[in-house]
Amino acid sequence: MKKTLTTCPFCATGCMYYLQSDHDKFVGIEPSTVHSIAKGHPCVKGWNAFQFIHHPDRLTTPLIRKNGVLEAAGWEEALDLVVHTLPSLQARYGHDSIMFFSSARTTNEENYLFMKLARAVFKTNNVDHCARLCHSSSVLGLAATFGSGAMSNSISCVDEADTFFVIGSNTTENHPQIGARILQSVKRGAKLIVADSRTIRLAKAATLHLRHRNGSDVALINGMMHVIIRDGLENREFIESRTQNYEQLKNTVLRYPPSIVAEITGLTPQEIIDAAHLYATSPAAMIIYSVGITQHTHGVDNVRSLANLAMLTGHVGRPGTGVNPLRGQNNVQGACDMGALPNVFSGYQKVADEAVRQKFVNEWRVADLPAHAGLPMTRALNAAERGEIKGLYIVGEDPVISDPDQGHVRNALQQLDFLVVQDIFLTATAEYADVVLPAACFAEKDGTFTSTERRIQRVRKAALPIGGARADWEIFCEIASRAGYKYMHYNAPSEIMDEIARVTPIYGGISYSRIDQIGLQWPCLDEHHPGTPILHVGRFVGGMGCFCPAEYRPPAETPDAEYPFILTTGRSYFHYHTGSMTRRTRLLEREENRSYVEINPVDAHRLGIRDRDFVMVATRRGEIVMSARMTKDITPGVLFITFHFEESPGNLLTNNALDPESHIPEYKVCAARITRKP
Amino acid sequence: MKTITCDQFHHFLYSIREDFEIVGPVILHDGTLSLGRLTAEPLALFAGRIPFRFTSLFFPHSERLFAMSDEYRFDKSGSSAKPLLVVGWRAEDLEALEFIDEFFRTGFRDDVFCDRRQSSVVIGVSGRCGVNGEFCRISEGKCDMELIYDGKHFIMAEYTENGRFLSEKIVWGEETDSLEALLQESRALRTPEREILQTASQLLMRNQVDDDFWAEIADRCIQCTSCTNVCPTCTCFDVYDMRLKRKIERYRMWDSCQMSGFMREASGHNPLASQSDRTRRRIRHKLVDDLHRWGRMTCFLCGRCDDVCPTGIGMKAVAAEIVERFG
Amino acid sequence: MVSCFEKKQYSERGNCDCFHFGVFMDSRIGHAAYEPAIYSIHSISDLTPHEKLFRIEIPDAVDFRHEPGQFVQLSVWGWGEAPISISNSPTRKGYLEFAIRHAGSLTGALHQMRPGSKIGLRGPFGNGFDVNRLRSQNLLLIAGGCGLAPLRSLIQYCEDCRDEFMDIRILYGAKTPHDLLYKSDLAAWMESETFDCRIIVDFVAPNHGYSGKIGLLPELIPPLEVEAENTTAVLVGPPMMYPFVVEALRKKGLDDERIMVSLERHMKCGIGKCGHCAIDHFSCCIDGPVFLLRDLQGTEWAG
Repeated sequence: MKKTLTTCPFCATGCMYYLQSDHDKFVGIEPSTVHSIAKGHPCVKGWNAFQFIHHPDRLTTPLIRKNGVLEAAGWEEALDLVVHTLPSLQARYGHDSIMFFSSARTTNEENYLFMKLARAVFKTNNVDHCARLCHSSSVLGLAATFGSGAMSNSISCVDEADTFFVIGSNTTENHPQIGARILQSVKRGAKLIVADSRTIRLAKAATLHLRHRNGSDVALINGMMHVIIRDGLENREFIESRTQNYEQLKNTVLRYPPSIVAEITGLTPQEIIDAAHLYATSPAAMIIYSVGITQHTHGVDNVRSLANLAMLTGHVGRPGTGVNPLRGQNNVQGACDMGALPNVFSGYQKVADEAVRQKFVNEWRVADLPAHAGLPMTRALNAAERGEIKGLYIVGEDPVISDPDQGHVRNALQQLDFLVVQDIFLTATAEYADVVLPAACFAEKDGTFTSTERRIQRVRKAALPIGGARADWEIFCEIASRAGYKYMHYNAPSEIMDEIARVTPIYGGISYSRIDQIGLQWPCLDEHHPGTPILHVGRFVGGMGCFCPAEYRPPAETPDAEYPFILTTGRSYFHYHTGSMTRRTRLLEREENRSYVEINPVDAHRLGIRDRDFVMVATRRGEIVMSARMTKDITPGVLFITFHFEESPGNLLTNNALDPESHIPEYKVCAARITRKP
Repeated sequence: MKTITCDQFHHFLYSIREDFEIVGPVILHDGTLSLGRLTAEPLALFAGRIPFRFTSLFFPHSERLFAMSDEYRFDKSGSSAKPLLVVGWRAEDLEALEFIDEFFRTGFRDDVFCDRRQSSVVIGVSGRCGVNGEFCRISEGKCDMELIYDGKHFIMAEYTENGRFLSEKIVWGEETDSLEALLQESRALRTPEREILQTASQLLMRNQVDDDFWAEIADRCIQCTSCTNVCPTCTCFDVYDMRLKRKIERYRMWDSCQMSGFMREASGHNPLASQSDRTRRRIRHKLVDDLHRWGRMTCFLCGRCDDVCPTGIGMKAVAAEIVERFG
Repeated sequence: MVSCFEKKQYSERGNCDCFHFGVFMDSRIGHAAYEPAIYSIHSISDLTPHEKLFRIEIPDAVDFRHEPGQFVQLSVWGWGEAPISISNSPTRKGYLEFAIRHAGSLTGALHQMRPGSKIGLRGPFGNGFDVNRLRSQNLLLIAGGCGLAPLRSLIQYCEDCRDEFMDIRILYGAKTPHDLLYKSDLAAWMESETFDCRIIVDFVAPNHGYSGKIGLLPELIPPLEVEAENTTAVLVGPPMMYPFVVEALRKKGLDDERIMVSLERHMKCGIGKCGHCAIDHFSCCIDGPVFLLRDLQGTEWAG
């Protein structure tokens, strides 16, 4: 019996546990009891994370499309085809006619190599990953206000906060360890404000539950700031010493008195006043949010507003405070850090910056690197639909299930001349591929993941990859070398991390020997730096904090006579994203094996819908059939669906309207109608 | 009674490595205390109780029951050649083991468990062996041999043939008569937690705990299933098939009554449909139902579920709350 | 509340009354407790749009004995195992019949099978209908929906050993006339002098041509004349039916010693280990599925 310490491949909380294997077969999980987050109790997904690893559906050999059918092929043939086809497309249609979708599921080392592959070998900045779909708004919104897009505090700060403002995060379901910790703090006496139209588990323990209208977040937060300034609860000293642009904020929020905000949000003026007072008068108040804030056409505005609120009251840079975006995927923080983004290298160093480019030119030993920003992935799919992107290399991502407006995604993929998909299972997206490359999963390779609290933690190889699968980093190195690039050769992922540390200031002090038992939190500037549990202490990462006031804008699509409901989406506790892993996990699939829509009994009775009835949910994009789940936890007029189920994919319905700055789609609000299926 | 030092005991273990697969408390990579094979490192016999479900040695997280080829031929996994020798379990662990032994043996014999268990030898550790030298209750049975630490030596108490067989192989050691004093001390240990548990059990049996209470506890359960996964007396499992290329494999793995799919039938009927039903069952099962069926409560107060519960609703915590509110 | 002593008897009885197929007998072999014996499906026929009848032939060499009301664990290879009631009486030897609804993935796969397909069987398991308790009694045999599948084993038993019982009344309710199981058996039972068989359906589509009674199953009970002191009722059906039927029977003067119920639970192992079919301190698979209502008092059996 072998026990291998590794990091959980599901959400970004970053629990560590031991994978138990017996003769290269995975047989169980044993929690780490000393790990600072997991503390001996993974969530239900963590406890079951060993099961999908050797699922018979795992891809074990490369596949190549021949006569329209994907057929098993050798690695030689598959890699040659990739290395031959991508440059030939570039030769014909230009360097930026190909696009690289990196993966928040793979390791830091792999993300770094993939962006190196795109930039150094294929000379394009067209590289992006699914952070575009979850926290691109945070990266932009927090960078503009605080100077850094990451979670400002640590998970352990939950134990030190006096008040929580949780908005757009169903924390107990999606980041169970953090949610549980909030519940524990509340039991000890901390106050909890939950802003969510659904009565999520946290709402049941909340001091104040604000069921504001979906998409009215900016108005709500502006309203709270209005009250804070009106009642003189702002932190004058903090504002004067640490921030700029206060007057502009003041002028903006002046236009959001509780009476007007109440109308926009559907709350009572008193609820807004209570929330403002509770948050502002608390010694240490912590804002926790997730994609309920970011996935809007006004996602960046939402994030800025939260940052404004924190600065207004001085709840930044201390234990138990801060603005804390909870990242959704195991390594979405790391994929951003590694520069799998169209405009920055690793460590958020801008590609437009000549000096930065020169540094990478030297390290990577190339003649030059492209200087203009590449395409974000949402725009790239639009461009593919228009025929401007011809080749796409997707790693560990299933846009057919995870991107909004499935019809549009399928159409875009069909337009491509060449699609490479590298994954552990044959996903819905892989079915469009010309070449499928079988990858090793988290348990079959070494590397690091960076958790939501910026903690870089080890992932360890507990068994050899199944069948002919290979680790992603090995595949990238092989492609680079076949493409004639000589400087992508490593004996082990630790060497990749050494290179990352050399060129990435915030990872400057990271090495495998330092993070052997417990990870470090970036910024970790050099080998003696202890890491940074709390950002913005005494000084914002960007110097002065900058108030960036935002005006309320309604969502792109609002209910009307034809589509009278607001449709919002989210995750189930038992499933993870596109379900490729959790739906192949016995107990999780047993728990929930089909798509459902939550509907308030008032609406259901009016439409003659009973619990567990099959219903048709339709939007302007399409319609799907699922089973109805009646619950008072959801507000009348709102429907909630998940997107894990390929058979009735939630994202067939969602709206591909994008935030103008972050290009994030508005998953969280669109107009829908629901009818009982006869 | 013979005594033996910790070093001598390890010498002894090394000397029988050919005959037994020796398993005991070890420290894993990041400092987690666990069960593992004896290596060059001495066993962590004084590091406290193993936080994980130690009975996983006989009833693992998942295991293959059999494989069947497409020609309908069965293939059963063979058991390991050497018998297991398990060292380092505490009195409450041994009580739990005694219960699950009885559980798997009674009525239909669960041969998957019993075969593995049958050939094993269990050595308990007690006395002044706590992390800070505190006294750990002496089980006085329920294992093959018990090592009772007096602060300097282990006093060896053999309870079975297997225990005597091992003890005879131990050539070191001096005779001592200090066991009686240690036994006195062990028997005099106060167990207020047991009284709380018993009171809670009676309150539950008399139906004095209302539904609101369970709803309240249930609201705090995030269904991580850690409590049932670390509990040494939780024996529920799920059975499922894996369809491989030219065969199917049937597995069983730990299940949890805290999941709504646990009792849900294909028809949709679910006797444990709400979290509050499930929370109630988690507690009642150990404190009331098993008392009816097996003649004793099956929580032995090892405290594992309380240690791992992320929201503080482990067995001891809930029992204390029941007594406080309804007692 | 049943005392511990009585309880033990239940589990022991479950053990010794059971007889197992082939290899299962030898508990010393590896994983024998969970290893099914392989049988071919002999024939399959449609009972309703959702239910099919599967028939397995048992060779003479295999000494298989069961009680009416017992179940087997049926394996569909690659889909797992499910508890399935035996639908024929032990008095009709040489074969086993199972009426199975397409309800989930396992039964779905089973419905795709053809005669000759191989399945696995373990069993029989559980406590069946306690025939000793029913002898010399007037019987009220009440089934709702799929509940007729296990009850049919008892009905056939009564048919074959008619002299052992007094008046036998069968009450059966289904959703619609389409959903009536064993239509030809029902027709025969209604014809026959052996039984007084009454049928009711919840709902009839217009122009269906069904001329029988429409309503809910418990409605069949009040018009009956029941001699409470020598009548025993046997109930099998969906969980939601029980409270209403039990209430109607109590009104007829039947106490809980005279009401026998067979409960539906999701047995995974059939041998009292997996925990999925627990009803408080009972394991439905070894203490049930048939219980005397008296024994269930104080438990959450109706959940």
